[in-house]
Amino acid sequence: MNDDVLICRCQEITRGEILEAIHDGATTVDGVKRRTRACMGLCQGKTCERLIQGIIAEETGKNRAEIQPQKTRMPVRPLKLSVLGGSRKDEV
Amino acid sequence: MKYDVIIVGGGIIGCSVAYYLSKRNQKVLLLEKRDHAQGSAGATDGVVSYHTKKPGAQMDLAVQSLKLYETLEKELGESVEFVPDCGGMQLAENKDQWDMLSKIADKQRESGVDIRMISIDEAREIEPQLAPDLYGVLYAPCGGKVEPIKLTMAFLHAAKRQGVEVKNHLGVTEIKKDSAGKVIGVVTEDGSFYEAPKVVISSGSWSAEVGKMAGLDLPIKPRRGQLLVTEAVGPFMHCTAQCALYNVIKFMPETIKDPKILHIGASLSIHQTENGGLLIGGTREWAGFDRFNSLEAVEAIAHRALRFFPALKNVSVIRAFAGLRPYTPDSKALIGGTKKVPGLYLAAGHEGDGIALAPITGKLLSEEIVDGRSSYSLEPFSPDRFS
Repeated sequence: MNDDVLICRCQEITRGEILEAIHDGATTVDGVKRRTRACMGLCQGKTCERLIQGIIAEETGKNRAEIQPQKTRMPVRPLKLSVLGGSRKDEV
Repeated sequence: MKYDVIIVGGGIIGCSVAYYLSKRNQKVLLLEKRDHAQGSAGATDGVVSYHTKKPGAQMDLAVQSLKLYETLEKELGESVEFVPDCGGMQLAENKDQWDMLSKIADKQRESGVDIRMISIDEAREIEPQLAPDLYGVLYAPCGGKVEPIKLTMAFLHAAKRQGVEVKNHLGVTEIKKDSAGKVIGVVTEDGSFYEAPKVVISSGSWSAEVGKMAGLDLPIKPRRGQLLVTEAVGPFMHCTAQCALYNVIKFMPETIKDPKILHIGASLSIHQTENGGLLIGGTREWAGFDRFNSLEAVEAIAHRALRFFPALKNVSVIRAFAGLRPYTPDSKALIGGTKKVPGLYLAAGHEGDGIALAPITGKLLSEEIVDGRSSYSLEPFSPDRFS
């Protein structure tokens, strides 16, 4: 695969940039994420997480299943602020 | 292997210390148990301001640190998304909060900083999205924002280029002392011994655990902060902003009686990042080492964001996140050597000020380590002040 291929489309991160992050010490999806912003866009890594796991596995000679995925956080799908915090009557 | 200094903890503080030590030609080993910016720096916003700092020595450090920020990007050779002088605001909902902020600002101004109290109409000329029914605003025209993860990595890369040896995913299990009690090095979890006459603990929220290895009882505790990040939107705000409760929770927690506020310490802190997303915090909670989000906090943060910026109602949250900040009993970091263990130094316990104070912490501690004294007295930050 070409190094110019976009892996994370939300943040426009290429395979080359992912490789650079791995060579900088990233061994997990979160490690790549912190160094490149991959997985930080609107879709939160729904497509690129698996691809990044694959690239790390390839580079480190490990099985893809051994590569730690990113930490799952709410709300999983985009949710309007008014839904999360709009209807409260009591003051916080 | 023999080094001049071994740094235990490769977060934003450890990487800054490593960078400034390498500028002084020290042979440095940086050990990180997990990965860089996996602790506080990867779980916070990027407010780099002085109007959120406790009046006195902490404020003096912030002023000096902001000075360093001005040239940092150029010095480190990579972007850290630093925006100088975007300005900072604290938003008062009523006269009580206004009076409290005015009192804090009077003391903050003693450090020679430009902090003003302005009316909500004046504030809305600067930030038109502010809710019009607010009482007034504390405004600091100076002060900026930064991307904390990028800053950590930039310090790390520059340190490496200057010869710092870095090992991540390698934790320290022991701090070795000689018969006289002086530091001689560390043992890592793979059983290796690394020799150095000086060791720095910069392990953030985990510093007390590392301190125990040297026989120290450090009053640093993990305090959880939760945040939200939104989808990217067009230009929404320029300043960084906090609600008045932010400084009150930080400096005068004893004045808060409402148990709901005390429970999770929810106060607003918000700014827009370079890519258009809004970072919205936050909380100050006791949750041990738990780094998960709670629905209670997420709702409270969203609720407060809408109170001060009603136009956010249709903006989507794409992720909640949370992290630990290293709390100390007097809200001041521990920076400098300790008389109890010669050769051992601390750079930890910055809680919510670690991003703003990272550069000055690295600079002053490197001076103390290399020259035996720093250009600004670290006495108020002495790790020995609690005993």
